[in-house]
Amino acid sequence: MAADVGDISEMNQKKYDAEEHVKIICLGDSAVGKSKLMERFLLDEYRPQQLSTYALTLYKHTASVGNKTVTVDFWDTAGQERFQSMHPSYYHKAHACIMVFDVQRKITYKNLATWYKELREYRPEIPCCVVANKIDADMKVTQRSFNFGKKQGLPFYFVSAADGTNVVKMFREMIKRAVDYKQNPSDFMDEVMQELENIDLENKEDNSDAEEDGLKAESPEVL
Amino acid sequence: MRYEAKRCGVQFSPPSIVLIYQDEETQTLRKRIIPVRNFSKYSDCSLAAEKLKNNSRHRDYLEGVTQSQLEKLHIVLRDHMQGFSLEHSLSSFHVDPEEDLNKLDDEDLARKKGQMEKLFEKNRKRKDDPNFVYDLEVDFSKNTQEKCSWDEESDDGF
Repeated sequence: MAADVGDISEMNQKKYDAEEHVKIICLGDSAVGKSKLMERFLLDEYRPQQLSTYALTLYKHTASVGNKTVTVDFWDTAGQERFQSMHPSYYHKAHACIMVFDVQRKITYKNLATWYKELREYRPEIPCCVVANKIDADMKVTQRSFNFGKKQGLPFYFVSAADGTNVVKMFREMIKRAVDYKQNPSDFMDEVMQELENIDLENKEDNSDAEEDGLKAESPEVL
Repeated sequence: MRYEAKRCGVQFSPPSIVLIYQDEETQTLRKRIIPVRNFSKYSDCSLAAEKLKNNSRHRDYLEGVTQSQLEKLHIVLRDHMQGFSLEHSLSSFHVDPEEDLNKLDDEDLARKKGQMEKLFEKNRKRKDDPNFVYDLEVDFSKNTQEKCSWDEESDDGF
């Protein structure tokens, strides 16, 4: 599977370098309602692309942020969460992350720690939030404070994909944060990549007729 | 919607989906028995449900029945064909809040999702509902007081 990934246009992640294109990923256990949230936000607009081979569903969305039009790709897991771990390409070049749990199932809340840890291994700095879904099942949960997000300094949302509470607000804020992050990335790896790309450019300019095999910095494609 | 679905269930022999619906024109309650054809104990319930939902003869009647419920009914039928009791089927739909659903295979996960879907559909606000609000915002920040017991027994990060 690894070698082919780059050949499929949906999986070619170079497009996420373009200024007006962001990638937002969803994390969380099976059946916490990740896809339902997506569908509620996108309504008629949603035309997911199922990439079953990669246990992945992509949703495309066009948003206005300030006076800019931004293309947003939402990445949803489609069962890959079964392995309690996501393929590195899932995290690659992501600009924001939405972590979801089900307020009716404690284990999905407890597992946030595992998801968060894995996220930070790949993307130490991207904006992230914690979403408590299915509050329609028991509105009393909204009187409780869930500390996981707070301790990590992450915004927290009580939402319901069924009745729509705070779904749009959450998505809009996360899109905004993804765009802000992209304009001002603080991830060390992003800076390194930027540096390498600059070197690559300089190299090309300086040694246009020099021999091959100069310092070549390819952006690491999905493996 | 010309037909409003009231209840939907199964009949084991011959294997059929039974729908109780109201005809909106005549305001009468009617029963429709839909035989389930080409379905064996090896069939894919999800596929069978999708086919039935899109079946040109039945889809108008089944508009108010979710695909996930149809899938659940097919699972009950198939379980019966495999010799399992109705109690077995029903208890397999039950969601134990402590259970780690990440560990289930597709089939078993579908059973649990079918159950959750019921609540989802019950509380669902559709975009064609008269009081539908797309960007529904509710501020809960003022009423969060209680500490959540899920944060006790504190391990990493909680």
